[in-house]
Amino acid sequence: MPFKNFYIILFILFFAASSNQHSGNTKQNIELLTEQTSYVAGENVSLQFKGKATASTYLFCANSYGSIILSPKTENTTFSFNLPQSFAIKTGIINWRLVDDSIIKTGNIEILPQSNIKAIETYIGPPSIEAGTTDYTMLVTIPTDHLDNPLADSTEVTVKHQFLDRNFKDDITMKNGIAYKNIYSEKEDGRIIISTECLKLNSKEYDVNVVPAIPTNFEIDYNRIHEYADGNQITTFSTSELKDRYGNTVSDGTFVNFYLTNSKGYKSSTSGLTINGIAKAKFLHPDHEERYDVKAYVEGMAESNTIAIFYKKAIGDFEIHFSEDKRTITVGPIESFMDQRVPDGLNVSLKIFKNDVLDHKMIKETCEGFATFKLNKDRFPKGQYNFEFYAAGTTKSFSTITYE
Amino acid sequence: MLLEQQNPLVPLPMSNINKNIIRTALMISYIILIGLVVYGISSIYSYLNTGADRSKMLHTEVKKVEQYLPQMQWQPLTNEGRPMDQQTLKAIETDYLDAWYVKQVAYKTNTTEGITDYYTESSRENLYNIIQLNTESNTTIDATTLSHNPKLDFFSEDGQLAVLTDYDVVEYKRVFKDNKLIFDATETSDYRVTFLLEDGFWRIRHMVKLESRPFENQTTQDTLKLNIKGINYYPQATAWDMYGDNFNADTIAKDFKIIKSANLNSIRVFIPYESFGKANVDTTKLDQVKQLLDLAKTEDLKVLITLFDFYGDYSVLDWTLTQQHAKKVVTALKDHDALLGWDIKNEPNLDFESRGKSLVTTWLDKMIDLIKSVDNNHPVTIGWSNIESGDILKDKLDFISFHYYENLDDLSEAYINLKSKIKNKPIVITEYGMSSYSGFWKPFGPSEDDQAEYHKKIQSTFAEEDIPFMSWTLYDFSKIPKEVVGRLPWRKNVQKHFGFINKNGAKKASFKYISSKE
Repeated sequence: MPFKNFYIILFILFFAASSNQHSGNTKQNIELLTEQTSYVAGENVSLQFKGKATASTYLFCANSYGSIILSPKTENTTFSFNLPQSFAIKTGIINWRLVDDSIIKTGNIEILPQSNIKAIETYIGPPSIEAGTTDYTMLVTIPTDHLDNPLADSTEVTVKHQFLDRNFKDDITMKNGIAYKNIYSEKEDGRIIISTECLKLNSKEYDVNVVPAIPTNFEIDYNRIHEYADGNQITTFSTSELKDRYGNTVSDGTFVNFYLTNSKGYKSSTSGLTINGIAKAKFLHPDHEERYDVKAYVEGMAESNTIAIFYKKAIGDFEIHFSEDKRTITVGPIESFMDQRVPDGLNVSLKIFKNDVLDHKMIKETCEGFATFKLNKDRFPKGQYNFEFYAAGTTKSFSTITYE
Repeated sequence: MLLEQQNPLVPLPMSNINKNIIRTALMISYIILIGLVVYGISSIYSYLNTGADRSKMLHTEVKKVEQYLPQMQWQPLTNEGRPMDQQTLKAIETDYLDAWYVKQVAYKTNTTEGITDYYTESSRENLYNIIQLNTESNTTIDATTLSHNPKLDFFSEDGQLAVLTDYDVVEYKRVFKDNKLIFDATETSDYRVTFLLEDGFWRIRHMVKLESRPFENQTTQDTLKLNIKGINYYPQATAWDMYGDNFNADTIAKDFKIIKSANLNSIRVFIPYESFGKANVDTTKLDQVKQLLDLAKTEDLKVLITLFDFYGDYSVLDWTLTQQHAKKVVTALKDHDALLGWDIKNEPNLDFESRGKSLVTTWLDKMIDLIKSVDNNHPVTIGWSNIESGDILKDKLDFISFHYYENLDDLSEAYINLKSKIKNKPIVITEYGMSSYSGFWKPFGPSEDDQAEYHKKIQSTFAEEDIPFMSWTLYDFSKIPKEVVGRLPWRKNVQKHFGFINKNGAKKASFKYISSKE
């Protein structure tokens, strides 16, 4: 009977012990033999345990990217796990758990990056910045070792850059797996050439454009063949060289708008793009005496002075000849400032009033100095009409033209 | 030609009809053939055009499906480099979580679907290597992350590169070898992640685990402050489906008056997971729950809210969604005076067989942690379907609850037995009752008098052992959704007659024993 009790107690103890997973009977004796907990990426990593592995002994490992499980390699009184090469090459913590139905042992291994370098990944942006010491571009580097791990923090990276005749060299240190530097523009425009160096490995060359800053106020001028309002020649407006506040000529293609205000206050505009800082814009001479005030803008950035420009009357009086039935009217010859006939294409308009109400308006262009109007019988039947001719600033009226 | 030679008055001979049939058949087959050729050419054409769709190339299409929503708590922005804006931060967050999600799917299935979108060319190699190792050893890992606390370290001036450190990432992993569960574990790790903006995706360039430690969770215990004398509640007409258009505050108010006047102090109600919108909780229905709580408050009733009704998935990749659901519901209701506590799930032990005990239990365990992290003021329980399951997770629950539909004679003993295992925690029976159905499908079923007798007897046991109780249920129901007990009429009809009040609104004999005397 006492034996029976003894066995029962033993039996209970056995179950109690084996159900307590962390200090299992056979598993209690398992000890970690490997003392090294820190490896350089690429080294062989293996964990050796003292004790006996069973069929259900596994090592669970999780690195920075994922998890695997390994089966043990058993030797006499020990067993070991070799971490696969492709798994142990990534830096960071590998946490492992020795499992045999339950977790027996856990631990961490640290994988450090190699101390030699394979590549420097460099990112630069923005690719163009403005002159004037406030704008900057940022260079970010990720130096990596032979196994594509970022190098350890506080590794030094040298950033070299060249601008005009000046060379610069700055040391920065890695933090958070990257190293970065802001490269500021100077007062001049131009191109910054940048390269980096880390552990004697040099990157290729990168460049960043320093574009001129926004233009400052400027002057305008004009140029024309003659001063007559002949409706034919062209006046060219031009700006002075547009520069930013540091004296850099603005980028080609800067858009300049010229606004012209005539004596009645009406506005017209013409525009041009800069080449070498100078923008030019064209304007057709008016066909009548006129004065314009001209001012140019680079919208939202800069403006010019205002200049006044006069066009002299070129075309004087002209004759109007009615045919016998008064239905064919010849205007001309219209003559310009040297009494030469005006170039073809001058507008002549005719307003026809019936009972003092505008009935019709016709526009003809001159040909060899003449403009001819033909009034159809069906359109303008019997009755009285008033005519008003206009050309080159001159108006001529005929009242009470009677059609039979 | 042949037809013209015929005399039109002579009826067409048989051979001509046959010819017409052949002609029609030829014509139809010609049309079908042309149709097939056109279809073939057009599918070749559209195949050659796939991928050239501009909206697809630029990833502008809206394709937001909520599939991975762990708790995400950004730390205040103090990053170096360019100041971060909320929109970019959200874009990084979305792609970062998607990166985790495709990784979890990849390791679960050992396929590489989706990885190219969220990892750069050189970093995806690391995942491929692990997938290969796991394929060779026939290992799969079913994992999820439950919480992230990222802090933005760096954002580059041109907005193309970002570095963040994600602290205290809680990862839960189930490791299978040869389709057999080897073990499961929860880890807490810190990761440093470098992102590059490529093709509109914030892709992971480097990922380094900085720290890893075993998961620890210290949850506080809450006490059950009420001596529960309650009842499970559904309105009579809308059992299991009382929210949405079916919600009727007047009915509920009237029923609460009945409950209160029957000397009861609490009710148990249910929040169905799917019809409440899963992770994207329907605020209208949530407001209706608040209304219900308001009505309970006016009658001075406390409400035990049972979450995750009709939920049965439990798959690890679904956990973040269920946690998101619970977080939203608990956050919305946790400050209500009428709230008694949280019953995480109704009878989850019934899912042990189909989903695995360890999976369901771990899900419950993590859910307790989550609910306690959101609401540390209300006790948490799980309504086990039988008394035998009562000690599962007993250390984490604030009070134990189980359902009792077995023989009344055994109750006392079983309760004392459970009480000896669970010290210092109240044990509540949150469902018990008897159907008074006796009819075509169950001709020798109990009568209403039997039901009354049952309640009389169980009340005396409650009084003897001082057992807090919640009965099933106030009403006989006329409609039972098929999700509850299936379609079988002998089950449905039994389920319809558990009430203390019958279909016509008359109190059954059992109503006398709805609560204790005092």
